[in-house]
Amino acid sequence: MKYASLVFRSLFRHRLRTLLTLSFLALSVFLVALMQGFLGTLDALTTSSASGSRLVVQDKASFTNVIPESYGNFLRAQPEIEAVTQFQWFGGEYKDPKNFFANFAVQKDTYLQVYREEAGVDLLPPEGVRDFLQDGNGCIVGKSLADKYGWKVGDVVPLRSPIFNLSVRLNVRAIFQGKRQSDEQALVFGLKQIQEAVPWMKGRVGSFVVRVKSSQDIPKLCERIDRNFANASPETLSMSENAFNLNMMKMFGDFGTMLHSITSAVLVAILLVTASTMAMTIRERSTQIAVLRALGFTAGKVMGLLLAEGLLLALMGGLLGLGLAVLAAKVTAGLASAILPWMADFYIPPDTLLLCLVGTLAMGLLSTFVPAYQATRKPIVEALRAL
Amino acid sequence: MSNSGNDGNAGSNGGNGGGNGGNGEPIIRLRDLAKSYYRGSLEIPVLTGIDLDIPRGGYYALMGPSGSGKTTLLNLLAGIDRPTGGELEVCGYRLNDFDDNELASWRATNVGFIFQNYNLIPVLNAYENIELPLLLTELSRAQRRERVLEALQLVNLTEQMQHFPRQLSGGQEQRVAIARAIVHDPDLIVADEPTGALDAKNAEEALNLIQHLNEELGKTIVMVTHDPKAARHAHIQIHLEKGVLDRTVEVHELPPREPLLGGRVPH
Ligand SMILES: Nc1ncnc2c1ncn2[C@@H]1O[C@H](COP(=O)(O)OP(=O)(O)OP(=O)(O)O)[C@@H](O)[C@H]1O
Ligand SMILES: [Mg+2]
Repeated sequence: MKYASLVFRSLFRHRLRTLLTLSFLALSVFLVALMQGFLGTLDALTTSSASGSRLVVQDKASFTNVIPESYGNFLRAQPEIEAVTQFQWFGGEYKDPKNFFANFAVQKDTYLQVYREEAGVDLLPPEGVRDFLQDGNGCIVGKSLADKYGWKVGDVVPLRSPIFNLSVRLNVRAIFQGKRQSDEQALVFGLKQIQEAVPWMKGRVGSFVVRVKSSQDIPKLCERIDRNFANASPETLSMSENAFNLNMMKMFGDFGTMLHSITSAVLVAILLVTASTMAMTIRERSTQIAVLRALGFTAGKVMGLLLAEGLLLALMGGLLGLGLAVLAAKVTAGLASAILPWMADFYIPPDTLLLCLVGTLAMGLLSTFVPAYQATRKPIVEALRAL
Repeated sequence: MSNSGNDGNAGSNGGNGGGNGGNGEPIIRLRDLAKSYYRGSLEIPVLTGIDLDIPRGGYYALMGPSGSGKTTLLNLLAGIDRPTGGELEVCGYRLNDFDDNELASWRATNVGFIFQNYNLIPVLNAYENIELPLLLTELSRAQRRERVLEALQLVNLTEQMQHFPRQLSGGQEQRVAIARAIVHDPDLIVADEPTGALDAKNAEEALNLIQHLNEELGKTIVMVTHDPKAARHAHIQIHLEKGVLDRTVEVHELPPREPLLGGRVPH
């Protein structure tokens, strides 16, 4: 392309200004890509197929309250139900409060049924499963968590939970591999241990997680369960696990709407800033543009050169921003998964990257089009005179 | 008046007169050419009733007081402006009939431009500036290079070909511009006060180059100038007055002592 160097050098005629615009573009694209990637990760979390066939039964007043273990009898009696497990968040710290990861207590055998995908039950060695079920202090650990702390089968993991003011020493009996990174960020052990050690936990569980045969049954089942316990104390609140996850997210505010509106605002900002930069560089060059046209460059050709400049600006800013976003997503996933296990899945999907790039290029073209059009329609002699 | 051959006829067809004017079909033929600007419904005539033939190979100087319409006329000849009346035929084409794109491609092959302010592209070096008109041709990179080097040699700037405009003196910049005007071998070269921004020495150099283009390469030159000295390089001087052709002066070879008398051309 014989005009490449003309386009490139024209764009960098005012190096500082172009670099500033470029940085702004890159930063904006970076933000948009991260936010969209984050939304995608949340979305995947609340629409996964395995969690789609589960429902959560908890105390109506607060999900931090506990409910009687005996409620499970009613649940197990429902024909649509495949398996029921008990669940209690433990919140144990490993050596240091900073070592935070997901650890929870469950009814072991049913857990492996209800969460068979997440726990990678098909891949678990049978003797590991047997040891886990038999050993009262047995636990299973996700592979990526085990790798992080260097745990192996047979190791002892001491955990201290401020919630229960309880210390446990758990024997690693198996290491499981989940389908997603986030599945492997957990340590799972038996709820009996807590129930025996903590008086107010006797005969109680944090919640039930129920696996249904068909996800279509979830709404009517939730309704039936909550109706059954309507006059009991405590009352229950049942919802699909997806809805539950969504509710957890909502505790942080309505991310979706917020991030989408930030995205739109950033896109508008990109448009305005590139438009003003391009308008400025084109206006400054009105004489040069007239000279090119006098030499025989058609308005269309000059327009093409100017649009190429806008496109090049957007392309460089876009690629830079997306590159940084991919890096940042990796780093964030590593760091944040300690606190929010599902953040281990945080990445920016290729189609989001592509969409961001196409969007940025479109902004580049759009913002150049108007000033370029004006500049190339202006009579040559007028532009030459205005010296 | 020190110049002989002042025929003093307003609106005469200057090109048909002199022996210095070149031969054959005129390369520029203007008939009753007019250009007006409009401010609302108010017509502001800038050029009226211009009849002029310029022969191929002619070297014409366009003179006249400021605001008389010299630049306007030159722009019309060069096909970067459109007349509001009359006939405009240049290099064998009736420009009145062309649309913007046709005019652009006509300019690309037929016209070379030299401006008072050189108007080089600042982000391109001397070589690349000269190459610009060739980018619009089918020539290969190697062919373009050959031509650019030839043009650089003509203006004696081969050594400065990597220099950017800001690294060149005014005189050098104008020589690059002259090379750019000739590189694609157009028949017509228009120059609007090409020496207006140059000192005497550089002006002389530029004028000698332009003369060379005319005499050795056979280019038709139309040059707007205020400077009588510059105008004396031309074969014919055309004087504009308030938008009409005032008179045409044929410049003759000056006798050796003529410059001592001042060589002034009335305008
Ligand atoms: N766009 C325009 N609108 C209205 N009038 C214009 C426009 N452009 C030029 N003119 C007028 O046309 C007249 C001729 O201008 P032109 O530039 O051709 O003069 P000139 O002979 O080249 O003058 P100078 O020697 O100062 O360069 C001037 O009176 C100018 O004001
Ligand atoms: Mg002028």
